[in-house]
Amino acid sequence: MAMADLDIHEPGDLAEAFCLLRAPDGAARPMGGGTALMLMMKAQLFKPSALVSLAKVDPRFHGVELSADGASFSIGAMTTFAELEHHADLCARLPVIAQTMVTLANPRVRNVATIGGNLAHADPHLDLPPVWASLDAEVSVIGPQGERRFPVIELFAGYYETTLQPGELIMRLHAPVQQGWRRRYVKVTTRSAHDWPAIGIAIGLKMQGARCEDLRLILSAATDRPTRLVAAEAVVRGQAITDDLLAAAGKAAASEVHIETDSRGSSDYKAHLLSVHLKRALHDLCE
Amino acid sequence: MSDLNPSPQIGRSIPRLEARAKVTGRTEYVHHLRLPGMLHGKIFRSTMPHALIRKIDVSAAAALEGVYRVVTIDDIKTVLPHPYYGPAFHDQPVLADGKVRFAGEPVAVVLAYDRKIAEEALGLIEVEYEELPAVFDEMEAAESSTLVHDELKPAATFPDLQHLKGRRGTNIALDYKLRRGDVDAAFAMADHVFEHEFRTQQVMHIPMEPFVTVADVVDGQATIHTASQGPSFVRIEMARFLGLPENKVRVKVPHLGGGFGGKLYIKLEALVTSLSLLVGKPVKISLTMEEQFFMVTRHPCTFKIKSAVTKDGKITARQCRIWWNGGAYADIGPRVTQKAGFTSAGPYDIDNVWIDSYAVYTNRPPAGALRGFGAPQTAWAYECHMDMMARELGLDPADFRRRNILRNGRPQASGTLLRDADIELSMDQVMGHLNWSKPFDHGNGAVRRGRGLAIGFKGITAPTTSVAIVNLYGDGSCALYIGTVDMGQGSDTVMAQIAGEVLNMDAAAIKVIHPDTDVTPYDMGTLGSRSTFHMGTAVRLAAEDARNKIEELARDLGLPPGSNLPVAELLRKKYGMQAGNIIGTGSFIPDYEKPDSETGQSRMATPFWGVGASGAEVEVDMETGQFTVTKLINVADIGVPINPKLAKVQLSGAGIMQYGFTTTENMIFQNGQLTNGSLADYKIPSLLDMPRDFINEATQSRDPQGPFGAKGAGESTTIALSPAIGNAIADAIGVHLLDLPITPETVYRAIQSVKSAKAGA
Amino acid sequence: MSTHRLIRFTLNGVPSKAMVSSQDTLIDLLQNQFDLKGARESCSQGLCGCCTVYLNDKAISACLSLAWFADGAEIRTIEGLAQGETLDPVQQAFIDAGAFQCGFCTSGFIMMTKKLLEENPHPTEEEIRHYLVGNLCRCSAYPEIIDAVKALSRRAG
Repeated sequence: MAMADLDIHEPGDLAEAFCLLRAPDGAARPMGGGTALMLMMKAQLFKPSALVSLAKVDPRFHGVELSADGASFSIGAMTTFAELEHHADLCARLPVIAQTMVTLANPRVRNVATIGGNLAHADPHLDLPPVWASLDAEVSVIGPQGERRFPVIELFAGYYETTLQPGELIMRLHAPVQQGWRRRYVKVTTRSAHDWPAIGIAIGLKMQGARCEDLRLILSAATDRPTRLVAAEAVVRGQAITDDLLAAAGKAAASEVHIETDSRGSSDYKAHLLSVHLKRALHDLCE
Repeated sequence: MSDLNPSPQIGRSIPRLEARAKVTGRTEYVHHLRLPGMLHGKIFRSTMPHALIRKIDVSAAAALEGVYRVVTIDDIKTVLPHPYYGPAFHDQPVLADGKVRFAGEPVAVVLAYDRKIAEEALGLIEVEYEELPAVFDEMEAAESSTLVHDELKPAATFPDLQHLKGRRGTNIALDYKLRRGDVDAAFAMADHVFEHEFRTQQVMHIPMEPFVTVADVVDGQATIHTASQGPSFVRIEMARFLGLPENKVRVKVPHLGGGFGGKLYIKLEALVTSLSLLVGKPVKISLTMEEQFFMVTRHPCTFKIKSAVTKDGKITARQCRIWWNGGAYADIGPRVTQKAGFTSAGPYDIDNVWIDSYAVYTNRPPAGALRGFGAPQTAWAYECHMDMMARELGLDPADFRRRNILRNGRPQASGTLLRDADIELSMDQVMGHLNWSKPFDHGNGAVRRGRGLAIGFKGITAPTTSVAIVNLYGDGSCALYIGTVDMGQGSDTVMAQIAGEVLNMDAAAIKVIHPDTDVTPYDMGTLGSRSTFHMGTAVRLAAEDARNKIEELARDLGLPPGSNLPVAELLRKKYGMQAGNIIGTGSFIPDYEKPDSETGQSRMATPFWGVGASGAEVEVDMETGQFTVTKLINVADIGVPINPKLAKVQLSGAGIMQYGFTTTENMIFQNGQLTNGSLADYKIPSLLDMPRDFINEATQSRDPQGPFGAKGAGESTTIALSPAIGNAIADAIGVHLLDLPITPETVYRAIQSVKSAKAGA
Repeated sequence: MSTHRLIRFTLNGVPSKAMVSSQDTLIDLLQNQFDLKGARESCSQGLCGCCTVYLNDKAISACLSLAWFADGAEIRTIEGLAQGETLDPVQQAFIDAGAFQCGFCTSGFIMMTKKLLEENPHPTEEEIRHYLVGNLCRCSAYPEIIDAVKALSRRAG
């Protein structure tokens, strides 16, 4: 018996990519920046028979564009974190992205990791997916059966699992630039500062005077996928902000999701962190 | 640590001799070594914490194209009938021998010319186990009928362990005792008696250069290139292991990418040398970061401490009982048990002391030496205990310590008199940095502040020997032949400064020959803060010997005293050309008296005392338990720093490492399986974790026994750091934490416990 | 479609070529085929920074990078920083500040520091800590590393 081969392909068009990804053993993997993929291969978590680089499949996988009306950014899946981090227009209109980047991994990872690969990896500890979800971002995916577009939060199905169909690739991400929203990503670490988050909370808040007109609360890291905190949102939406209300929102958040115990904290401690940090972040955003 | 020193070499912060190599990426590490025809070994590890091996099927792995051979213990036994090793006990087989004792234990090795093929083949090995009951907790193991080893097998190297030989039916590998005065009477008469129990967690050294060994056994001679802190020990133990004389075993060590006590004694060397002996080819095994957690760790421990105190705050008696979780193999754990045991009552002047210290086998990865050799675990207990008592007695914690502090000239618990140990001065300097005499604002809202301090000390492994050679060549240039391993602490540079001082030479011009047991003389090991003191003295003696020989040569040549002819000219006069050498040798073993086996009493239990004091200020988020160490201070008595800059980075580096052991680092097990064995899940401190206000300094001290007044610096700041932080947190939240690590969650739970106690009251 | 391939690239300014397998990382390529040992694998997860090299002028973790994709690229390693006997100012600053002990992580810190100062010649201490958070020094020469970066920043005027 010989050591398993690993083929590497760099298809020049989508049709070829789809064909390669339809390998009979199902072990051909699409590859963006390759950071997460390399980690999983090195840890022998899986052994693909082929890697299919998406670097050259289609120009639509590249580039960051602001729509003519300034209403949304369209971001190619192969865009690296560093490109976004240094994209002056995007950082000015969506400062929460730059804010999230400061504590996201390290500059080497940001130089390589791509927006699409990050979403497709579907590790719930990642920082950007909940932020995209809180922005009501959508993804365009393309597959042998054609193209479809849906909210990014519907992409996640569980630990390392997405709702992508076989052969489907994330092509672009669409992030609306909504006026009047205040945003923040709260990364709560319980060990070293450079750890993965124990919980991540992405928040979007729109105020009308002292009253909350609308909000988005997305929890990550503590659950198996980025999860919208529907009950907590309902507590706050349409209400005048008071300390009691925010405390109630925090409590609602802590009781509406199931949180697993892990090395970053017990289930009930992380739920407590969620209620406190949610309350505080909303409080800060209201000021 | 000023550079204002009249001496030409001592007290100068010259750059490391190897500085250019390190910044250009050219430093030699075993990590990079490749020998012609070399095989790579990858280790197949046990998935069970305690089990009998029913069957190992290596056929599929062996059949993989490119696999040279798959090796199990049965193969090793064809060339080495008893392949067991270990510094204190010969209890560890190079590969599991019918039984596995921890999850992660090596069971088989795949050899291939291509490392990736060897790695791939690991997935094709199949082992059938019969699971045995396992024991993981040291307290449970001390009493358990589940036995990790059937019989104790002490090594001949440590004569004081021979009474343990053949002991059966126990997991206690060693029971150390110290008895001084009459503890029972003192407790009976005490105004106050306090008793507390503390625990510390299992942590790992995490050298950035993972463990690596290359062995080449050919024609009855073994050459071992290894990332080891103890080349002389490796030679002696591997000579025994192979049944060869010492001169047939050559051990070479270039620079080390960190050691911290992990790369001591025998680690990969026994396995890799066995493999090379078996296949007759050079073999290399380099562990991955993940595998390092299965090599050696720091002992978790449980420490029950009890003190008798008068109403004036004088401690009259102390009882210490410590259980050290040594994991599945003893490694140097029995020595940790003794050495940390004898100082476990703390740096206090107490007439009546009772210490029991137990090395306990469990089904966890083995524990051994790690920067501080047990002292940090004991200080966590005795220094938190001090603050807890002070709180109960209504005394200022610093004042309470001062009433009891051990001063020079007074006997320590072992009876050895304290000398050249500036414990109180260290505490004073910490207090100065904390503005201890000034009121402190604890805050009263959601954020509370606290401050704390702690002191600690340690004895130094004894008796140990260092031998050095100074060689002056025909042109007068100088090389130093020493077995001290430069693993980053800067020993090459410090030793060159010592030799340069004696020989009146520029230290930077001296070459330090790295450990090669065919070339460099014996040294017990680069460990336990001993190198500057022991090897430094040997180097000083060797340099003085060379200087005497130079003077002798001048006399022989009929030169008048004081003619001070350069060495090159003296040698040219003698030999008629540029030729010859002047060789100076030095050997040093400090005064020592073996402690009495029943009482632990000794006239001279340690060559010197390591001394450290720490202080911390913290801010605690009372709602979440999240905390920030806003200020961290370490002060150590290290005698006269030979190279102040190198000494300072040792003090701060040891401090940050212990900061990790205090807060973020913890090997977490579930049913004996390590669940966080990678740097993604086991978090060592990064730049963001280092406290923003971080002060490290040495006292103005001098140890007249050490070379030019110096003593060791590598561990002193690890000792008192954890309790300083623990005491600061207690000062902020009003309750003490008893276990390490201190995490936001443990702080939160402590805050909650105070709240519910108040609610209940 | 193949599991081996000839790649061409420039290595520290020198046009080079190598036969690589699809499984080779950049570390494998540099160490096994070019005897360049300054970038070294430690954590294998891109967290420690010991394997930092520049690929097309961007700092990356060579242990997580497949050599295959270096075809046509420009690779620079720590060995390519000094000009003959003259050290790069960052290398010299690390010596002057005593910013290392065992040296195993030092190449990575120097490579990252150089990039930090290119992007931000006058970083605050917090910016230094954040930028270098993906480089781990177990000897913890962190205070001296910060000193070295600050000294370079001051010198940049």
